[in-house]
Amino acid sequence: MLTGSKTTFKVRQMLPDIKERMLSQSGVNARSRDVFGLRCLPGECVLQRAVMVRKKLTAREGRGWLSGTLFCTHFRVAFVPQDSPRPDDNADPVLLGDHDVALASIEKVVVVGPNRTKLVTPNSSLKFTPEELVLYCRDLRVICFLFDRLTPDAQVLEITYTIAKTYQPPKPGSVLSFQNAALGSVEMKQFLSNRRRNAHMNWYESVSDWEQELERCGAMGWRVSSVNDRFEMSTSLSRFIVVPHKVLDTELKKSFAHFNEGRIPRWCWRHPRGSDLLRMASFQNNIYHEKDDIRNLEMILFGCQSSLCVVVELAEELPSPADIQLAHSRLRALCLGDISTSVSVPDDKWLSTLESTHWLDYTRSCLKKASEVACLLRGGHLTVALQEADDRDMSCVVSSLVQVMCDPHCRTQHGFQSLVQKEWVMAGHRFYSRVNYHRDNDKEEAPVFLLFLDCVWQLLSQYPSRFQLTDDFLLALHDSIHLPLFSSFLANCQRERCKRSQNLGQSYTPVNGWRDMLHPDSSSDPSDPPLPPVWDWDLQYSKHRRDRFTQPVPPVPPLQPLLNGNLNTNPDTHRLTDTLPGSVFLLSRGTFSCPANLLPWRSTSSGPYKKSHRRAASSENVPGLERLLKAWALTEFPQALTSTSGPQGPLDPYEPLLPLLMGPCMGLWRECYLRGALHAQAFSHPISANHPHPVERLAQEVQQLKDKLAQVSTGTDRSPSTKTAEPRRTDANLNQNTNNGTFLFPAARPQSKAAPRMTPPPTSTTTNHQTSRGPPPASAPPSRPVRRDNGGSSSSGNKHTFLFGHSSVTEARTYPAPNNAKLPKSNGPSLAS
Amino acid sequence: MASPISVYNSNALDTHISSTSRESLKMELLADVSLLPGEDRIIDKDIIYICPFNGAVKGKVLITNYRLYFKSSDADVAVMLDVPLGAISRVEKMGGASSRGENSYGLDITCKDMRNLRFALKQEGHSRRDIFELLFKYAFPLSHSLPLFAYVTQEKYEESGWNIYKPMEEFRRQGLPNNKWRITFINKNYELCDTYPTVLAVPFKSKEEDLKRVAAFRSRGRIPVLSWIHRENQAVIVRCSQPLVGMSGKRNKDDERYLDMIREANDTPKLTIYDARPNVNAVANKATGGGYEGDEYQNAELIFLDIQNIHVMRESLKKLKDIVYPNVEESHWLSSLESTHWLEHVKLVLSGAIQVADKVSSGNSVVVHCSDGWDRTAQLTSLAMLMLDSHYRTLRGFQVLIEKEWISFGHKFASRIGHGDKNHADQDRSPIFVQFIDCVWQMTKQFPTAFEFNERLLLTILDHLYSCRFGTFLYNCENARDQHEVRSKAVSLWSLVNSKMDIYLNPFYTPESGRVLYPVASMRHLELWVTYYIRWNPRIQQQQQSPVEQRYKELLALRDEYLKKLEELQLSDSSPSSRLANSSTPNTSSTSSTPSQQYTHLQTPL
Repeated sequence: MLTGSKTTFKVRQMLPDIKERMLSQSGVNARSRDVFGLRCLPGECVLQRAVMVRKKLTAREGRGWLSGTLFCTHFRVAFVPQDSPRPDDNADPVLLGDHDVALASIEKVVVVGPNRTKLVTPNSSLKFTPEELVLYCRDLRVICFLFDRLTPDAQVLEITYTIAKTYQPPKPGSVLSFQNAALGSVEMKQFLSNRRRNAHMNWYESVSDWEQELERCGAMGWRVSSVNDRFEMSTSLSRFIVVPHKVLDTELKKSFAHFNEGRIPRWCWRHPRGSDLLRMASFQNNIYHEKDDIRNLEMILFGCQSSLCVVVELAEELPSPADIQLAHSRLRALCLGDISTSVSVPDDKWLSTLESTHWLDYTRSCLKKASEVACLLRGGHLTVALQEADDRDMSCVVSSLVQVMCDPHCRTQHGFQSLVQKEWVMAGHRFYSRVNYHRDNDKEEAPVFLLFLDCVWQLLSQYPSRFQLTDDFLLALHDSIHLPLFSSFLANCQRERCKRSQNLGQSYTPVNGWRDMLHPDSSSDPSDPPLPPVWDWDLQYSKHRRDRFTQPVPPVPPLQPLLNGNLNTNPDTHRLTDTLPGSVFLLSRGTFSCPANLLPWRSTSSGPYKKSHRRAASSENVPGLERLLKAWALTEFPQALTSTSGPQGPLDPYEPLLPLLMGPCMGLWRECYLRGALHAQAFSHPISANHPHPVERLAQEVQQLKDKLAQVSTGTDRSPSTKTAEPRRTDANLNQNTNNGTFLFPAARPQSKAAPRMTPPPTSTTTNHQTSRGPPPASAPPSRPVRRDNGGSSSSGNKHTFLFGHSSVTEARTYPAPNNAKLPKSNGPSLAS
Repeated sequence: MASPISVYNSNALDTHISSTSRESLKMELLADVSLLPGEDRIIDKDIIYICPFNGAVKGKVLITNYRLYFKSSDADVAVMLDVPLGAISRVEKMGGASSRGENSYGLDITCKDMRNLRFALKQEGHSRRDIFELLFKYAFPLSHSLPLFAYVTQEKYEESGWNIYKPMEEFRRQGLPNNKWRITFINKNYELCDTYPTVLAVPFKSKEEDLKRVAAFRSRGRIPVLSWIHRENQAVIVRCSQPLVGMSGKRNKDDERYLDMIREANDTPKLTIYDARPNVNAVANKATGGGYEGDEYQNAELIFLDIQNIHVMRESLKKLKDIVYPNVEESHWLSSLESTHWLEHVKLVLSGAIQVADKVSSGNSVVVHCSDGWDRTAQLTSLAMLMLDSHYRTLRGFQVLIEKEWISFGHKFASRIGHGDKNHADQDRSPIFVQFIDCVWQMTKQFPTAFEFNERLLLTILDHLYSCRFGTFLYNCENARDQHEVRSKAVSLWSLVNSKMDIYLNPFYTPESGRVLYPVASMRHLELWVTYYIRWNPRIQQQQQSPVEQRYKELLALRDEYLKKLEELQLSDSSPSSRLANSSTPNTSSTSSTPSQQYTHLQTPL
């Protein structure tokens, strides 16, 4: 191959694609689609393609090889399997197909030749024709393509060069061009600005969002303050914060100065037994404490529990961001091996090398700290305040882990998303710096959030039946953080996020129709594209993948929607009411103490505190607290087990999930970190995607029965609850019937043509399992109850009328406010009645 | 099974009615022990169990001719121990009459199943003398001319587990004899080889005299015989012991010709001989008259699998015990685990078996041996067969596999375990079979749906490997078993297992015949079998109920509930919804069938 000819070749190759794109854009229905079956995003163009390529499937995908066509666009490396179904041109764009990888995720491109391996850089030239193309990704995936002898050599070389040239080498400035490649087209911008937010989760963006959470937790005595509405009090805090009712905003304002970055103690969560979880930054020490200040500070800190506050110092036992970064980079190196030389740690040194990364130690220390806090909260009626110097890293980890352990709601997908939104996104975790998207601030880089995900995975792997979300969800979240596309992660705090969205022009506010149809070239629009939140999973992944985010049938016991705040049914709680009001203890290294300088305003001997406040009791209450903490230690000892973990007994849903933290009980998240170890892939599911695990199959069956039950009960009593089950089916039918059925949704079709963005698919993704996991409707056996309407639509007119009538009802209900659709899972109780 | 226990229970109660109220209160502690038929109380005593997890626990110990049973008298600390005496490897006195310190006088018991027990007694009046002597006697009956408990027990089961494995049936299942392989009874009196079974499969062309001449050249007469044949490609797994090459490099034309006959049977171009040992060990064995097949063997290749000998394995497991019992080494868990090399040995055994299985499934016959062909060889052949043949992955098939490759082919269980023998330091003891079960467990972890049996079966097998309650694992070979009339006088473990199969079944089992399982033998994917090796740690016990299994049960219950409701609804409302009834007829009919039928019925279309 002559290298000189390549550039010209490439240019020629590109032209038809652009033309194709233009053509397809001029059509009303069809979005850009490559002739080989790649569904391009609006504005995305194929730079290069190679045919007869085989992709190596991971264990999870069922192993083996899959043949198809490989594409490289400005945005991604896409792979379309040979016999994949024709993409639906009318469906909403999905950023990544099941086999795709975004260019920004790629870290290294390696080719394997007849007897050599070579790292390909934008400037390298190959002296051999690669047989294999290996993409090492930042999210620890390794994607391997095998070129067939039938793949034309020119294509092999071209696509390798193209990928090497266009993938985003880590350098400042590449992020924006990547964002533009993905989201920068006019259509995409338009599409994004018309997206609706997921209404099943709490975004914590408004006062009412916070109030909703207060209500959900049954937290009384707290209010939402908008004193930071313009970020004048604290730049890194969210617009709204929750503080004690009795503290007025005017009083509150004076407190900000006493804390690092103005991050005053704020309410995060209330345990159903009546304890509150707070978080705050460290005290500003060299500041004079006015008498009034002290009163306010004490009020804020003690919250609604006038008696007892435990300050949990997070710095001492937990890893620093730098520790985490070092551990993670070691873990990466260990799991991926030395990429260019394909040298990896010898197998017999694997365990000790894994240990020396300290990653598992750090996971364990976070879980341990969170367990301690969870046990304290369980004791009831005290305030636990997490304190960290800047309150933006480990306190995010610990506060959210505590909630995952204690609050079943946080173990559902939407509950977990709300949790991350509350404790990370809104609380000002510096995602932007910690992920270091621009590769311009290595010293700040630290995957704190990934450590948190690992901790959650540890809990999930020890208590799989207590989670509604799955490790597929955690994995998707893990991978998404490496994509510089999401508003959730591309800022360090709410203020930055707001700034950015203000800078976006007003021209992309929701409009009906393709306004910019006449300017197909406006992808060169200079303004930044609007960034979607990471929670817009429909945009990122296919339905097939999204369906795996949750367990098909939610775990029992059913999650109660509202905690009443006073679940004080536990008789053995050693009530700490005898405590003198105003005691503060420090929890550090598993022991309680009350150092004199814990609260700076109390330590100043001559300060006004002495005069107006009686001295708080010293260590009298330490034993009581230690007893609480012992509950945590009880998992280390046998007696507790017989009483707390009877598998048959009714589980207290708020009993914290305390993980076992012995060395042998800490697992390595192989499905995440060892995805790339191609040479050693165990198949945890030997029977591949076509044969799901029997538990999944049974769960699907139960779901089907449940649906059928719902259906049958509608038939008889027309209870409104069936509405939840129906839209999903109609949703599935939408695609199914566009080809042959003309009777379905006659009104909906033109509407969706006119305003495709008005109709995001009803957000019932979490539960619509039978439609995606089951066999295609055509081959559905008659014994499948849920398929009744699908199968029926082609057989008897009698059913048509029924279906039609029914679906139009659901249309009418769903479209104006699709987000009102209840989670079908909440159906359970109503069925039982 | 259930009735004799209750009889014995009531007996136990009867004996204590006469005692004083205070006594009876204490005795009640032990009243709930369900003794086996034939099990007799020997002694009971107040004692302090020095629990490594709870500290000293007061209670009562009962010793029978089968078990050591302890129960705490303090209601707050519910500690219970139930240890078959067979699991005891060593009993020692701890401290003396003059020892100072609390609880310093008592007994120290080392068990074969990864735990140690310590009991303290009152220092006055030689209080431990009787219990020590009785324990010593009944824990090591063979050293005291007493019968093993397996000969004493009166347990009865409907099905006799001794019938689970019939060599001829198993050969027939594999399609033998055929025109390449014949069955020989040359060893029916254990004259050819005293550690082999009586029924052997050998190449069709080989003559009985050939076999005798080959036996003379193979260590302990363990000639190459067929273990397994691949139904489609007719490739075979043949097992044997090392050739007696010796320092002088002896040759034996008959042995060479015999191996070539094995090769010819399915026209394998090159016979692969897997020597399980490390190369150096094989060379060293020449000094003691052994060795390995050299270049004189035409059309054969020799591959060493680098698996260490029984002594290395024993020391490795001992190191593992040190880091998990009583306390788990916390500070450097992973590197401590690595330094035991246990997982590495497991890996080598597994990867050896993978190589064997891979060769055979690609149509090449293999010969497997180590030194004597009863330790590593048994591990390799049985694991390879487990990978190749889905029959062995069923509950009964697995029993056949163990009976065949381990018990009948003469794995020296008596020497390796030391049943009823006081000589705890015997150099012949080694956890080879435990290691095999560990390998099986690793496979079940990597293929959670491929095995019909569950982890509980593996744990039960290992428990009764030591317990001496069943005849299954007693003695070194068939010959010895015949002499001691094990089959007629003792009960088979499989009688117990098959009498309550449901608790040993893996709910996730999905039969898939004809699929070769290749586990990943890499440290990156092997795990320590925590629920076996660390199961005495109370923190681990909590995890014993598999959460996935629990969830499965929940789902099953939920499904049955829904099915019932559905049925009720459809019954109550047959009139207005002809439309619905119409569409759901197939389902209605299946609702009436049993849940399990319903399940399979629904799933077949997938």
